[in-house]
Amino acid sequence: MVTDILEKLKTTIGAAEISEVSYEERGYHISVAASKETLHNVIKFFDDRKFYFEDMLCVDYKDYLEVVYFFNNYRFLCRVKVTLKVDPANPHVATMSGIFDGAAWYEREIHEFFGVVFDGHPNMGYLFLHDGIEFYPLRKGKVRIPPEDRERLAYFKVDEQEDAFTVNFGPQHPSTHGVLRVVVKMNGEYVEAAEPVLGYLHRMQEKMGENRGFMQFLPNTSRMDYLGPMSFNAAYVSAVEKLCKISVPERANIIRAITIELNRISSHLLWLGAYLADLGGLTPFLYVFDDREQINDILERITGSRLTYCYMRFGGLYNDVDEKFIEGTRAFIARMYDRLKMYDTLVTKNVIFINRTKGIGILDEEGARKYGFSGPVLRSVGVPYDIRKTEPYAAYGRINFDVPIGKSGDVLDRYMVRVHDMEVSMKIIKQSLDMLSDGPYVAEKVPKKMKPVAGDVYQAAESPRGEVGVYIVSDGTDTPYRMHWRVPSFSNLIIFPYLAPGTLIADAISILGSLDLCIPEIDR
Amino acid sequence: MGKRSIHLETKDAIIKFALLDDILNLARANSLWPMTFGLACCAIEMMSTAMAKFDLARFGAEIFRPSPRQADVMIVSGTVTKKMAPLLVTLYEQMPAPKWVIAMGNCAISGGPFLFEDQYNLVEGVDLLVPVDVYVPGCPPRPEALLEGLLKLEEKLTGKRRFPTPEAKW
Repeated sequence: MVTDILEKLKTTIGAAEISEVSYEERGYHISVAASKETLHNVIKFFDDRKFYFEDMLCVDYKDYLEVVYFFNNYRFLCRVKVTLKVDPANPHVATMSGIFDGAAWYEREIHEFFGVVFDGHPNMGYLFLHDGIEFYPLRKGKVRIPPEDRERLAYFKVDEQEDAFTVNFGPQHPSTHGVLRVVVKMNGEYVEAAEPVLGYLHRMQEKMGENRGFMQFLPNTSRMDYLGPMSFNAAYVSAVEKLCKISVPERANIIRAITIELNRISSHLLWLGAYLADLGGLTPFLYVFDDREQINDILERITGSRLTYCYMRFGGLYNDVDEKFIEGTRAFIARMYDRLKMYDTLVTKNVIFINRTKGIGILDEEGARKYGFSGPVLRSVGVPYDIRKTEPYAAYGRINFDVPIGKSGDVLDRYMVRVHDMEVSMKIIKQSLDMLSDGPYVAEKVPKKMKPVAGDVYQAAESPRGEVGVYIVSDGTDTPYRMHWRVPSFSNLIIFPYLAPGTLIADAISILGSLDLCIPEIDR
Repeated sequence: MGKRSIHLETKDAIIKFALLDDILNLARANSLWPMTFGLACCAIEMMSTAMAKFDLARFGAEIFRPSPRQADVMIVSGTVTKKMAPLLVTLYEQMPAPKWVIAMGNCAISGGPFLFEDQYNLVEGVDLLVPVDVYVPGCPPRPEALLEGLLKLEEKLTGKRRFPTPEAKW
């Protein structure tokens, strides 16, 4: 398929530089260097071939800025990188939000952090930062924000209208799962428009990636998504292993799979409790925390922390597992099956719950392609797309499991997909425990100071919320030149303003909760 | 920002009734209602503390109030960014006196692991914004540490410790 796409691309768009890239080394298959004239046609080409919008970022190479687009396909693995060079003195690019709606937010982000102006964009206001930033944060060297750009970035203002009133939903609100702020325009009981405001937890992770060593950045990955840190650990570690060509021993890979899945269960459990609390049922919260504590105890013995695990190392793990861990995990799995039955009777068959969730917030595959959401939210519409299947990392390539999918893409389906996801995780853990063999748990001779080759690498992983991707540009030194994170919650949140209008406020909260947002991950 | 500011807020009543105050303080210390105000990772540990295993209810502090107007203690659990700072101050000012603040985790104490040169979005310690009574270090602190912080706050109110100090393990 990759060669087909390559041939078609060459015949359709001759003017761009198109080259095939080694997937094992770089993490993507095709690289297209577009120019301002060809960019629209290139992106239209991938849109016509049902590619989905994966990621968009910008890199500052001092002489020029480079805007990078990533596309991938649900049906076959073919990741494409489209790049466009921009003059830093006059950074103007045509917007892509007309073709892929999800690009609108990514463009706002790039505009804020780099100062690239996207012509034709509907709204170029601040998304993350606060007023009072003097320099573009992610530009190399200090580049002042010019006054005309400051005006464009002017503070978010709520437009006043007759017979419509605005409700500030958050940042300190129990239902926003943290510090998300959504400005909701209401007409009586119905939502007319919803505008998320982000950045209340922007902790400069990408900036820190540029001024810390590869090893020093490891703890940050677990602070980025504190509910599913193992997946972020795995994505980052795999990316650096790809870059530095470190091989990982078999045992370490299997243990990685076990810990990632344990963490996935604990993340889904917390979501279950919090989501039902949003809907008004506070009891499940107590129950899920009971189960979570069991997982915390198991993982604490080997990782040393209860929440923000930093367990993986380049080429292996921080610590080996022992008999007690294996016994504890087996006991937990056995217990969890009973608990899931109990949740099933308590929640899934509850009439009130079904009425609150069935038939609202309906999504479809076309929307998924345009907005780029992923994970359980995507699988609920019936697309069996899972990074663990398509691009196996850790030990997933040798484990036999099937991906749960939904049918109609409504909120109830998203709930069901996550509950089945837990069962799948338990199946994976069981198989991995049987596969566990003796051997080293960390590769030998991993240098203290990483010596990566110059170049870029993209690594995707399946976090509990969806597809997490790391894009690292290295210049051969022991600190990354640029590190970008493609985070699932950000892409999942983009669809909320599109789903909310016309629903009741209670349903809007139900939809927002069903997306399983993790705010520090959105804000990075 | 930057300079440690001084807060000219009186925390005590102007007229004092010694015995009545003692009784009131004892009552306050045993029913500290925290505000539901999670900022980041520490908020998850704060939830764990409130749940069945660690059971914050034993100390009379299990009623998390979503509204600042019904809360006694603000547990700042997580990183305070410059965008969040004005809101945090607003919330603090909306709380009726007497009120207390617990800075939970390294981010709330000093900026924690996110502190580096030329940072542009971090408030380096919540005590630059509001007066803090108890600091609970850790990244994130264990639930036991938060409980200990709460006991410290009770000690500050009543002048004596309610539970014996746990024996040192080493």
